[in-house]
Amino acid sequence: MATSSSRPVEGELRYGAPNHERRIWLFMRLSGLVMFITVVFHLLYMHVFIGVDNLTFGNIDARWSGPAGVFWRLFDASLLFLGMGHGMNGVRFTINDYVHNKILNFLLTAAVYGLGLFLILLGSLAIVLGAGGLGNLFQRLTG
Amino acid sequence: MSALVASIYRGITYRGAEGQWAWILHRASGLGIVLFLYMHIVSIFIAAIGPEPYEWVHKYLYTSPPAKLLEIFLGFGVIYHALNGMRIIIIDFFPALGKYQRTIVRIELVILVIILIPYAIATLGSGF
Repeated sequence: MATSSSRPVEGELRYGAPNHERRIWLFMRLSGLVMFITVVFHLLYMHVFIGVDNLTFGNIDARWSGPAGVFWRLFDASLLFLGMGHGMNGVRFTINDYVHNKILNFLLTAAVYGLGLFLILLGSLAIVLGAGGLGNLFQRLTG
Repeated sequence: MSALVASIYRGITYRGAEGQWAWILHRASGLGIVLFLYMHIVSIFIAAIGPEPYEWVHKYLYTSPPAKLLEIFLGFGVIYHALNGMRIIIIDFFPALGKYQRTIVRIELVILVIILIPYAIATLGSGF
């Protein structure tokens, strides 16, 4: 059973061909290492430095605008993709630990991945179009 | 489902030490963060629609008194998950350090408290 912290016992390490679960194991570690910097920065910046009460639509618009906006859009995209990828895998580990019925396991995993991919699409749309971007696009299309 | 009930029963009755509690907290915080992430992505998507719907969602979803309490939980969850994740990575790549894992759990709890104090002051201070 793959869990987030499972590892071979010392002395029994086998360096075979990388398989799917091993790549996921590595992805969880690498994404975790990156997010240790980016997510903790994001959390402390938004909640301590700015404060959630002071967050407005203007903040998002300003951060995503101008030359620096490209950097912050890429930064936020990395949070979105790494966070959702890491999170969906974590939920899959949990499902695998508790749901041993193969059909139910498949349905739950499919639901989690379906919802995750849908939310990644929503988030990507917001990052690409920018604050108010979808509303502006809709207005232009409808005249 | 019976596996879940059995697991919860064993989780309560098994007198595990730091490692077991670290694992339970890692899983609980991870699932909590994923739930928050779902809400967070939807609210940022709403910001792409326009200022008015975003300000409305932000006001009721993020700045209400219950949200303030959940914000503390979020900070605890994210910081704990980050620190404990580092412990897992360290022990995965340096298995010899496994014998110090209880000490590492205690160290991470100390760092957690040090970070959470200013976080809690900033979060609650702006709401009351």
